[in-house]
Amino acid sequence: MTDNHILQAAMQRFLKSIESETAEEFLELLLHLMQLVFAFDHGYRKNIEGFNASYCFRSRDKGITVSVAFADGEMEVREEEAASPNITVNFMDGRALMGFLLTPKPDILGSMLRQEVQLDGNLNYLYKFAFMAKRLQLMAMGQA
Amino acid sequence: MGNVTLPDIRLSDFTLQTLPRLAALRTRNLQAGAEVCIERARLITRYLRDLADADEPMELRYARAVGYYLANKTPLFPDDNLLAGTTTAKYFGAPVYPELTGLTIWPELDTMSSREKNPQRLSRQDADILNFEVFPYWLDRNILETTRARHGNPACMKLFERIVFFLASKAGTISHTVPCYRLALEQGTEAIIAEARRQEALCATATDEESRQKQTFYQAVQLALAGVNHYAANLSQEATRLANETADPGRRRFFEELAAISAQVPARPARTFREAVNALWLLQVAIHAESINMAISPGRLDQLLYPYYRRDIDRGTLTVEEALDLLGCLWLKLNDNTNLVPETAEELFGGAGTVPAVTLGGIDADGEDAVNDLTYLMLRVTELLKTRDPSLNARYHYDKNSETYRQRVAEVIATTKAVPAFYNDLVAIRTLENQGIATEDARDYAIIGCVELAAAGRSYDASSSIMLNLVSALELALYNGKRPVTGDEQIGPRTGDATAFRSFEEFWHAFTSQLGWLIGQAVELNEMMGKSHQERLPTPLLSALFEGPMEKGRDLIFGGARYNSSGATHIGFADTVDSLNAIEQGVFLDRKCTMAQLMQTLQHDFAGAEALHAYLVNRTPKYGTDAPIARKNARNLTAFLFDTYQAHVNYRGGRYRPAYWTMTNHAGQGRLSGALPNGRKANRVFASGITPVSQAATDLAACLNAVAELDALHLPGGVAFNLKYNAIANAEDLRTFGQAIEAYFRQGGLHIQCNIMSYETLLDAKAHPEKYPDLLVRVSGYSAYFKSLNEAMKEEIITRTAYSLTTGQSEPFPAAAQNMLPFRG
Repeated sequence: MTDNHILQAAMQRFLKSIESETAEEFLELLLHLMQLVFAFDHGYRKNIEGFNASYCFRSRDKGITVSVAFADGEMEVREEEAASPNITVNFMDGRALMGFLLTPKPDILGSMLRQEVQLDGNLNYLYKFAFMAKRLQLMAMGQA
Repeated sequence: MGNVTLPDIRLSDFTLQTLPRLAALRTRNLQAGAEVCIERARLITRYLRDLADADEPMELRYARAVGYYLANKTPLFPDDNLLAGTTTAKYFGAPVYPELTGLTIWPELDTMSSREKNPQRLSRQDADILNFEVFPYWLDRNILETTRARHGNPACMKLFERIVFFLASKAGTISHTVPCYRLALEQGTEAIIAEARRQEALCATATDEESRQKQTFYQAVQLALAGVNHYAANLSQEATRLANETADPGRRRFFEELAAISAQVPARPARTFREAVNALWLLQVAIHAESINMAISPGRLDQLLYPYYRRDIDRGTLTVEEALDLLGCLWLKLNDNTNLVPETAEELFGGAGTVPAVTLGGIDADGEDAVNDLTYLMLRVTELLKTRDPSLNARYHYDKNSETYRQRVAEVIATTKAVPAFYNDLVAIRTLENQGIATEDARDYAIIGCVELAAAGRSYDASSSIMLNLVSALELALYNGKRPVTGDEQIGPRTGDATAFRSFEEFWHAFTSQLGWLIGQAVELNEMMGKSHQERLPTPLLSALFEGPMEKGRDLIFGGARYNSSGATHIGFADTVDSLNAIEQGVFLDRKCTMAQLMQTLQHDFAGAEALHAYLVNRTPKYGTDAPIARKNARNLTAFLFDTYQAHVNYRGGRYRPAYWTMTNHAGQGRLSGALPNGRKANRVFASGITPVSQAATDLAACLNAVAELDALHLPGGVAFNLKYNAIANAEDLRTFGQAIEAYFRQGGLHIQCNIMSYETLLDAKAHPEKYPDLLVRVSGYSAYFKSLNEAMKEEIITRTAYSLTTGQSEPFPAAAQNMLPFRG
């Protein structure tokens, strides 16, 4: 498969995840796609040039714990707690996280109000992450 | 009588047909879609990131940044408005303040142009600038995050971020003030700069820390004001260029006049009415270079501008028609900007303008009638334009102002259906005096934003510091420190299992314990954020336009104003009082149910408990009636809040002032709260401001008396009392309407604002917004176009009790819309 095919396949899986009812794999697919697009798309990679930050995503049932680090234009994903993340996102489930970040529109405030997502840390880092996620969704849909 | 010489105070010869410039500008204004303007954010960020000297005090750095922005701000003449200057580089712009809450739109940069509710257009190019250049700089530098970092993500901040307890507005704004424009108009900003230079020189030889700080302040004033003058000079230059470019003699004259005016003001004294109006507008624009566009209120414009008007009229160099044209241009300029709002906030709290309040009428510093010809001109302009801003407020002193004036204000309310709001001078002045304001300053009060009282240009009130949800304290008391919306988490102190309470006094004690604790949390966070503002966002420009800072050599944010305070407003007042009433009457007096039964019923949103629900809705005492229990609980709650807040002194040395206005937060917060003992169902809106619950108070006189009898001394931050009449159909209705307001004032009422529209009209406007493109409604302190409100807020306004002036009773609510009522559905 060419790089482009790999990318397209990842985008399709990601879009399917968004459209599905369960969205269990949402975070995994989002982060995987993000890594791919950072690797292949210079314009998108510009988002993390000079950006140093770490995030921790944790499901309420502790079934998912993922840390994401951005450093020197690279993105690293680990299935473990981050040491001192800029922000920790505790989410009820994959669907809640998806609604929080992406669909049908980024609903950070609404998700917080509904107590589906709780945050601990610098909200600005989350806003940036949500922007990158939304841009990715639009790219996958051919709208960006 | 004041200075009234007009042969016809209604100015009925002047209409939008005779004022075609205003008609055309109004049409364009109403049709304009909002655009995000990144100019300020880009220039301020560029200066602080690339050009600032990191070793300089922040006061100087920020003043230089503000000056840099103003000097490089686009000089724009987007239409035929007679005034030079625009708030943003867009026709109808939403400026970005990244140092406050600008970054909340980051997730929406790609989507906000196309969102369903009140979209704000943003080009891809501008979105990229925000994403790559502006926002990254502010990741760790805005007020919220610097406060969090400094205090280690404190518990009070985490509580604020749950959103359902209180809002700490300083993360997004201080603004909310009435500057003093008088000196700048009379002497020009060059004179203020010269005075700052003189004061700086006086401090130069001293070596103590206080003198050094004063020196820095006076330097900052000069830097910021130089930016204002630079902007005006750029406008003059651009107008000259446009004049030279056009072959049309009329257009050339238009631009030549603008060039001449902006060459004169605000740098030098205003010599004419037109120069005074334009100077004021340019200063208003300039303040927004430094402070966010939230409720920067021009104040008593009929008093401030009157000497210029009178002189020009007497000289024969100004006609009433020309004055109306200029005032109309100012009104429309005040509408040239809007707030930057992320989508969820728009859905929950949207529809507000920027609420620059203008205040008219009342008495002067000597206690005499201050109404003048300009008062009536401004009322006429408001009546003709019917725009969302400015938020117009009419002061009324029933011993000094004429009945003619009262009735004219009443007539404008009848015509516009919504504005102006009415204020009781006697009570407002006494309330301010009780806060330590000197009588002559209290007599010169003006309204900030929604309804807050200010000693104009003298008191820095930060009147929107805290917005506290009273229902959250009620629920914390019911659930022993927890709330249904936050689940099993222990939020507040453990005040006891409510099912074990044996008396209402026990419940009241639990409730006030929770409330006092919440207030403590909100105040603690406000103090932390106030310190962050002191460190990061000094306000030398605003300080130069105030009484106090120039004399003390101290910025407003450090307590430079003559008077200081912080405002804390409250959401859910009537629902809380009625719930207290229901518990006292239903559980402990009538014993219709136990606390355990009541709480079980609330947890099931009254399902299966229809009889108890009907009892709670129909048989328990309601605020807004003459029921003794309701009157006592309302009185006790306002007294408790007054005593609690006044015990706190803020970072500027002023006291906290409780207030009761809610903007649209009573709708948003209502959607996040469980069922209440007063019969309100879960997730339904709360009543607005200090207004009784919709449909709870059926008798108009009793309702007016109940609100008026609240001790106004306990309401120093101001109140929004929203009253709806179904119609003012004829002269008799109008007379009754005016008399009712006067009677309410004589009973002690502080404020009242009205919507004159029937249930049927509002229901039709909700169903067919295209038929009502400019239907103006009074929300809870400010005006909004009905079409731009969210659905919950529309329903709240529809369901407000509508009274008949003929019967003095509430009109029956349409059966087909019963599900909108907060205790139905």
